[in-house]
Amino acid sequence: MEENEELAPHIEDINRALNEKLSEEQIEEELRTYTDRYGVPLGSAKRSIVKKYEGDPQDLYVSTEKAIDDIGGDEQGLNLKCRIVSINEKEIEVDDEPKQIWYGILGDDTGTIPFTLWEAKPIELEKGDTVKIENAYANTWNDEPQVNIGSKASVKEIENDEVPQFERETQKLDLADIRENMQNLDVTARVTSIERKMVNTQDDEEKELFSGIMADETGKAQFSAWHDFGMEEGDVLRVKGGYVRSWRGIPQYSFDETAEVEFLDDEELPPAEELDEVSVYSISDLAKRGGAVDAIVDAVMIDIKSGSGLIFRCPECRRVVQKGACRVHGKVDGEADLRVKGILDDGTGALTVIINRELTEDILGYDLEEAMEKAKDEMNQSVIQDALEEKLIAQPLRVKGNITSDEYGLMLVADEVEYKTIDVEEEARKMLDEVRV
Amino acid sequence: MSMINREVAWRVFAREFNDSTLEMEGTEERSPSYLVTPLGAKINRIYTVGVLTERENIGDPEEPMWRARVTDPTGTFFVSAGQYQPEVATTLGHMEPPLFVAVVGKSSTYQPDEDTFLTSIRAEMIKEVTEEQRDQWIIEAATSLKERLEVAIEASKMDEVSVEELVDLGFDENLAEGFKQANEHYDSLSFDKYERMLEDSLRYVLPEYETQSIEEIQEEKEGEDRRDEELESLVIDVISNLEEEEKLENGVEYERVKEKVMEEEDITEDEFEETVNNLRSDGKLYEPVLGNLKIIG
Ligand SMILES: [Zn+2]
Repeated sequence: MEENEELAPHIEDINRALNEKLSEEQIEEELRTYTDRYGVPLGSAKRSIVKKYEGDPQDLYVSTEKAIDDIGGDEQGLNLKCRIVSINEKEIEVDDEPKQIWYGILGDDTGTIPFTLWEAKPIELEKGDTVKIENAYANTWNDEPQVNIGSKASVKEIENDEVPQFERETQKLDLADIRENMQNLDVTARVTSIERKMVNTQDDEEKELFSGIMADETGKAQFSAWHDFGMEEGDVLRVKGGYVRSWRGIPQYSFDETAEVEFLDDEELPPAEELDEVSVYSISDLAKRGGAVDAIVDAVMIDIKSGSGLIFRCPECRRVVQKGACRVHGKVDGEADLRVKGILDDGTGALTVIINRELTEDILGYDLEEAMEKAKDEMNQSVIQDALEEKLIAQPLRVKGNITSDEYGLMLVADEVEYKTIDVEEEARKMLDEVRV
Repeated sequence: MSMINREVAWRVFAREFNDSTLEMEGTEERSPSYLVTPLGAKINRIYTVGVLTERENIGDPEEPMWRARVTDPTGTFFVSAGQYQPEVATTLGHMEPPLFVAVVGKSSTYQPDEDTFLTSIRAEMIKEVTEEQRDQWIIEAATSLKERLEVAIEASKMDEVSVEELVDLGFDENLAEGFKQANEHYDSLSFDKYERMLEDSLRYVLPEYETQSIEEIQEEKEGEDRRDEELESLVIDVISNLEEEEKLENGVEYERVKEKVMEEEDITEDEFEETVNNLRSDGKLYEPVLGNLKIIG
């Protein structure tokens, strides 16, 4: 495959590393066997040959494009020829300044790897582009190697055929096990909700997005389909070739027209109501996962934070107004609202729960207007918080909603809240039977 | 991403909590310290529901320092709330025992001397609850204890307690580590005791096993208070009679008082000692010379 003049420096390199143990012809023959016959990438082939003849691969220094599968961990001066499997934009904060970065997945015929592009895009990069990256570096994050394209690196677009077409074997996975940055997955799940919306892509193009929630017997995940596959709520699907993005800890299964979507028989998975049952999580599990969608937590409310009950929000930014002033907009006429910000603890861990106005009204048994009347009568805004403490603290609850995480820990935004009744007698008998065995 | 995880509130029975004698400082700067129980619960925060049986302000009205006792089926938690928990102190000040209460707080230890290790809860929250909520808590605490016992049983099959092996068996890493630390500190652990404790506390919520209602607890407590008062006046009477009869200036010998009181009333030595101690701490008795008791005033 490689032209002679391209191989020449590598043949010399091997020759040097092996102290001229082999002739150049022998080396070339070996090299061609590895690369042409067995399809081993050049870099790996060189190392293998040096090792085979008892040399030290460390003595090789004419850099080659590294095969993605060979990227182990901390490496400098990394050169790659690969294809952009996915690319997404993200805004981060550096020294209080917003900064645009890109992240996604690179792939070649040996494998795929997550990457982050830390500098302004040197060229217009898009999914599917074939590129040559020079002087990048690799490190490990969450035990997985990843490629960093920093200020010293260069990225050039190259001809599509410079990277062989590859078809990666998909990995069959349960929804409970999907994690950020996984790719080429094979997932079977039931669509439990779906909505269509139009979103603007980076190039200001309008694109159709089908998003919702899918569930299997192990858990749930959000999904984003960037193509109209004709999916409907209730469908049981097998989606091959999707990848995982994550939003504040919630893994999201994404796929586009390159994915293979197969509609399966309804009996392949239990009905949606049954699948719902599996989404009861312990808080320690949620801490390990980092988040979950449409999850159920059984826990006790052990604290209600100040800023709960009757609150006033800035009409501009919805921040909670304190002493008549918004942190950003100064003195404003606050709009009344009701909420609970509390701590749920299940004995395995704790998380912050946010309960919105509608649910708070249900808990109180009266609405916002009546709450304002009560506060006026008592000349005290905090009577509503007191009432909520009375109703919620030390109370076992079942709360359903999306759980996200950031540096302050886990947060559950409640969609449903109910008092959890425990059949004490039944539980006690069950446990007694178990310990007597 | 490193997350600040709020310390979990452990559901642990009073007996296991009070049996604890191992305190572990956090390994990193500003990381919390833990009380490690004999079964390896690493407690920084605790959540309990029980009966508030006593509360007492040992501070002053301006700066109250409340001490309270909260009992569960296995023993008594000592709970405190002072100036750093003003809301809790106020709430506790308004509570009239006996009551079912829920308490969230930090574990706290006090070592007055080498042989004594006292545990208590510094309350962050206290709230009156219902008997149903107390029973639900018992189920939670029992579930938690049962899991620690399962760790203990699995660990006892190993030549050396291995966190890794316990995690492989499906136990939480924190639980496995806690057990290993406990196992290295506490010698000759008796799991039987905690197994019995688990069964007893589960029976406690079953209708066929009679448990005390809050009224019965109140009656019993009033009965105890009455007996305490009776014993105290008996001891005072015995001393003052002897002082008068024999014109004793420097009080009466301790042993003579004890003999006389035990003749007149069915009372154990411990009960006698406790009564004398109460009278002394209430300022009704003192010791003019070593070993003699004399009435004040
Ligand atoms: Zn504002």
